[in-house]
Amino acid sequence: MTTDYEPRIVGFLCRWCSYPGADLAGTSRLTYPPALRTIRVPCSGRVDPLFVLKAFQEGADGVMVLGCHPGDCHYMEGNYHARRRYALMHRLLEYVGIEKERLLVAWVSAAEGRRFAQVTTEFTTQVQELGPWGGMEGRGGEGENGGGK
Amino acid sequence: MGEGSELIDKIRAKARELLQGGRVDCFIGYEEGSRGRARPAFIYDPQDAERLIWDERCAHNLVTYLHQFKSPLRRGEEPPRVGILVKPCDSRSLNILFREEQIERERVYVVGVTCDGVRTNGRPQERCRRCAERVPLVYDIVMGGVPNVLGRDDYADVTKLEQMSPRERLAFWTKEFDRCIRCYACRQACPACYCFECVAEQLDPAWMGIAIDLPQKQFFHAMRAYHLAGRCSGCSACEEACPMGIPLSLLNRKVAREVEALFGYKAGQDAETPPPLATFKKEEQLPM
Repeated sequence: MTTDYEPRIVGFLCRWCSYPGADLAGTSRLTYPPALRTIRVPCSGRVDPLFVLKAFQEGADGVMVLGCHPGDCHYMEGNYHARRRYALMHRLLEYVGIEKERLLVAWVSAAEGRRFAQVTTEFTTQVQELGPWGGMEGRGGEGENGGGK
Repeated sequence: MGEGSELIDKIRAKARELLQGGRVDCFIGYEEGSRGRARPAFIYDPQDAERLIWDERCAHNLVTYLHQFKSPLRRGEEPPRVGILVKPCDSRSLNILFREEQIERERVYVVGVTCDGVRTNGRPQERCRRCAERVPLVYDIVMGGVPNVLGRDDYADVTKLEQMSPRERLAFWTKEFDRCIRCYACRQACPACYCFECVAEQLDPAWMGIAIDLPQKQFFHAMRAYHLAGRCSGCSACEEACPMGIPLSLLNRKVAREVEALFGYKAGQDAETPPPLATFKKEEQLPM
């Protein structure tokens, strides 16, 4: 795999911890790979596993779900639910042929700008090494959204 | 099944009694179908109870039909009360519906039958070889003799697939899913698939395109497998219904196995335990 390949990574960032964490990384002038497309969500518990599947279907090479550390959820228990869901989702994805290294679930607090940059950088490298994901893209040249809607 | 006609007489007598006594408005069982097959029967008149049969051809999961009895038959009436014949596998589906509050326990009279395995077109079903439960888990009355056989699921086929590389697995599933014609027979046959509006048909947001192409099919099957996590009782109704022979239970059993490994939960064992994805333990350590 060529090193100049830039993966497409979709990040679902919790509004209370990880999104401010990303903000802090920015205001601290930390750099992280531009491969990441952030989507702000109210809580990691909001991230329906369908979102992840949809992202892969629409051509993402990797998906990150970042939330508050367990115990710190603004809504008390959202990330506990997310934790259960994604423990299972990892295994299902792997079983249907999507390498589990393409999905990252991590906890990043609002004070952890440095950690956010680090997690994003590491994950981007990890996905880069796996190469492009293209397993769910259509065969019929229906554009880069994989023949979706 | 063994004692055959004696058991059928008992089932017919029970259905007649339930209908005559007004305990149920409809009894769901099996009757003789065309070309030597059994088909679901909906008995409203006590006299029709004679049509009921029970033998190894009775493979359908009748619990699926309970969803049609959730609302009143006529406006202003109470929803009907239903009698239903369940095999051990069906009884697990029934537990799931009770747990998810889809139908009230009091509305359903459950006639359980012990089971030695069923056949489709003369061949024994795969799931029956793996079945470790030969007596229904929920019933008002249970009939039939002590089962002769007991299966065990060693997940050999799932393990075989797990040992492939991700790309090989992707190729395997691509080949299988590619045959899908998006007829949704799997969903229709599934007792646990009862959403008013399925993700597959939802227009706003449109999760899935209407094209019958590979990305949509992959999405549909992965989505359905996930939605059945901790809810699939392994009745194989989807696989039996699939006109294209897609090994759906290979997918659903993997998820069921992982749910058991991660959360120690087996679907349909009772109607009280909270479903694994609707609950959590704060201190649990889950491999991510």
